[in-house]
Amino acid sequence: MMRYISKIFITLTLIGAASDLLAQNSTSTFKPFLEHRILAGFNFGATAPMGFPNTIRAIDGYWPEFSPTLGYELSVRASQKWGAAIGVKLDFKGMGIKDEVQYFHTIITVQDGSSTGTFEGTFTGKNKTIARNAYVTFPISAVFTPNNNWRFSLGGYMAWKFSANFHGTVSDGYIRNGGPTGEKVIVDEATFDFSSEVRNFDVGFQGGAERRVGKKLSVLGNLAWGVRPIFPSDFQGLDFPLYNVFLMLGVSYKI
Amino acid sequence: MIKRTLCFGAILATLLSSSCIKDAPLSPEADLDSFIVDQADLTGAVFIDEANSRVQLYLKQNAFEKGIVPRVVPIPGSTVEPAYGDTLKFDQVTGEGLTSYKITSQDGNYHKTYTVSVVTIGVWAWDFEQWRVQEPNKYMYTVEDNATVIWSSGNPGIALSGVQADPKQYPLRDTTEPYHGQYCAVLETRAGTTLSAFVGIRLFAGNFFLGVFDSRFALSNPLASTQFGQPYRGRPKSFSGYYKYQPGPVYQDKAGKPVAGATDSCSMYAVLYGGTTRLDGTNIQTSDRIIAVAKLPDGGAKATYTRFNLPFIFLKDIEPQMMLAIVMSSSYKGDLYEGAIGSRLLVDSLQIIR
Repeated sequence: MMRYISKIFITLTLIGAASDLLAQNSTSTFKPFLEHRILAGFNFGATAPMGFPNTIRAIDGYWPEFSPTLGYELSVRASQKWGAAIGVKLDFKGMGIKDEVQYFHTIITVQDGSSTGTFEGTFTGKNKTIARNAYVTFPISAVFTPNNNWRFSLGGYMAWKFSANFHGTVSDGYIRNGGPTGEKVIVDEATFDFSSEVRNFDVGFQGGAERRVGKKLSVLGNLAWGVRPIFPSDFQGLDFPLYNVFLMLGVSYKI
Repeated sequence: MIKRTLCFGAILATLLSSSCIKDAPLSPEADLDSFIVDQADLTGAVFIDEANSRVQLYLKQNAFEKGIVPRVVPIPGSTVEPAYGDTLKFDQVTGEGLTSYKITSQDGNYHKTYTVSVVTIGVWAWDFEQWRVQEPNKYMYTVEDNATVIWSSGNPGIALSGVQADPKQYPLRDTTEPYHGQYCAVLETRAGTTLSAFVGIRLFAGNFFLGVFDSRFALSNPLASTQFGQPYRGRPKSFSGYYKYQPGPVYQDKAGKPVAGATDSCSMYAVLYGGTTRLDGTNIQTSDRIIAVAKLPDGGAKATYTRFNLPFIFLKDIEPQMMLAIVMSSSYKGDLYEGAIGSRLLVDSLQIIR
C-alpha cells in the first residue's frame, strides 16, 4: 500500500515539476527553495466502517473528542507552481458515538493468568463507543501553488500510534451466548475496552487546501483517509473493519 | 465505492445520519418465547432452559393421566414445528414421553430443537454418581437415574464470563473422593475473570443447589438467576448427608482486597416454602413464603467426611403446593462475592428424611 501511495506521489510531483519547468524555461530564472511551516489545528471525523453494516440500526449521537494536532512541515518549491512537502505531526484522532445495533456479532478473547477464555455472542441493544487514538504522523504530499493565496496538497501518510483508547458500554439489550440460537442474557449495562487491540501503524491518503490570510499565516483543511483497519484482522470484537477518517481544520504559520 | 464515499461524506458533513442505515436484517434468532400449560396441571412453573434447549415440566397426578395440551410460542418472526395443539402424555414413573419442537429463524438459517421432559423426583436422596459435560461450554452437571436434571449451579453463568472451556475451570464438578460410590460433588471457590471483573465480580463461589439457572439475569442480576427449589409434597423431618471442607488461605472482600484475620466457611441449608414459582438468591432466606428451614450451624473446616442431620425448624404449617430447595456454597458470603479462593467443599449422600 505504501509503495502505491509513494508511487502516486512521486509521479504527481515529477509530472507537475516537469511541465512547469518546460513552460518556464524560456522566461524566468526560477530557483528552487525550501519553506518551513508550523501546523496546528483540530481533527474532526470518525473511526468508522466504510458503509454501515445492516446490524447498525440507528445513530443516536455523535461528538468529536478533543483531538488537537500540532506539526511541522518542510516543503520544497521545485518550480513556480509545483513542489513537494514532508511533515511530522502529533495527531489525536477521537470521536464518540451512540448507536443501536441488532444481532451484532462479537468475540471477546481474554487472558487470565495462563488460561485464555473467549466469549462469543450476538448483541442487540444500545452501544456507546469512545475512540481516541494518538499518532505520530508523517505526511508526504505533492504541492500545487497556483498563486500567492492558495496552496493545494495531495499525498499519503504513515502514522505510528503512541496511545490508544477504544472503550465504551453496551446497555438496554441482550446478548445471545455463542450466537443467534444461544441463551438470552439481559444486559443492563456492561463495559468493554479494546484499547490494547488497536494497531500500531496506520496508513492512508491525505489531501488539503490552504488559504493565505496574513503575511505568514494561512488557514487550512486537510482530509486524512486511513486505508488500513485500525484493528488487526484476527480481532473479532467487531465484525466489520474500522478506518480512521479525519478532517483537520487549523492554521499554518510560515517560518 | 463512490456511493460509499458519498455516503460517508454525508456523515462527516452532517455528523448525524440516518440515510446510510440499511434495511433491518431478517432475524437469525430461533428460540422459544413461552410454553404455556394450564396452571391446574402443574406443581411448579414451567422452566425453559435456553442454554440446554429443553423445557422442564412439573406435572400433577391428573395431568399424567389425561395428558396436557401446551401452547408453544416461538419468538416473533420464527416458526415452530410440529404445529402444536396435540395432547402430550408422559409416563408417571420415568417421565418418558419425550417430545421435541424445532424452531426455525425468520432468515431460515438457524434452527434450535427443544426437548420437552417431565421432571419426576422419586426418592429425595442423592449420591451424585452420574455427571455430564455441557456442550459447548464444557461445564459439568449431575443427572438423575432417569436422565432428568434437577440439580443446578452457577456454572452456566460462569460460562458467560470467558472462562476456558474445560470442566476444571468451573467451580462445580465431580471428583473421585466420595464418601459413598465412585463420585461426589466438589464445590470450589475460584478467581473471577477479566470479563467478570467488568461487572464487579472478582470471585466465583462454588455453589450447588436443587433448582434451575435462569441465564437471562446472569449479568444484570446474578442472584436472581440462581432459582432454588423443586416441587415437594409432605412434611420433611431433616436434611442429612456427608461433607468435607477446607477453607482457602486468603479471605478477600468484594473489591478483591485481602481481609486480615478472616477465614472462609461453607454454607448448607434446605428451605421448604409455599407456592409454585421459585425463590432465588435474592429472597431464599428472607421470603415470607418460607415454611421450614434446616441449616448447618457451623461451616468450619472438616478434614474428613462428617455426617450432618439437620432438623427442619417449622415457622408455619405445610401447604398443598410447596417447593423444597437445598442450597450449598463453598463460601458463606459467596452471594456477596466474598470468600477465599481455593475454599473446597465436598458433599455426598444427601437426603431429605421424611
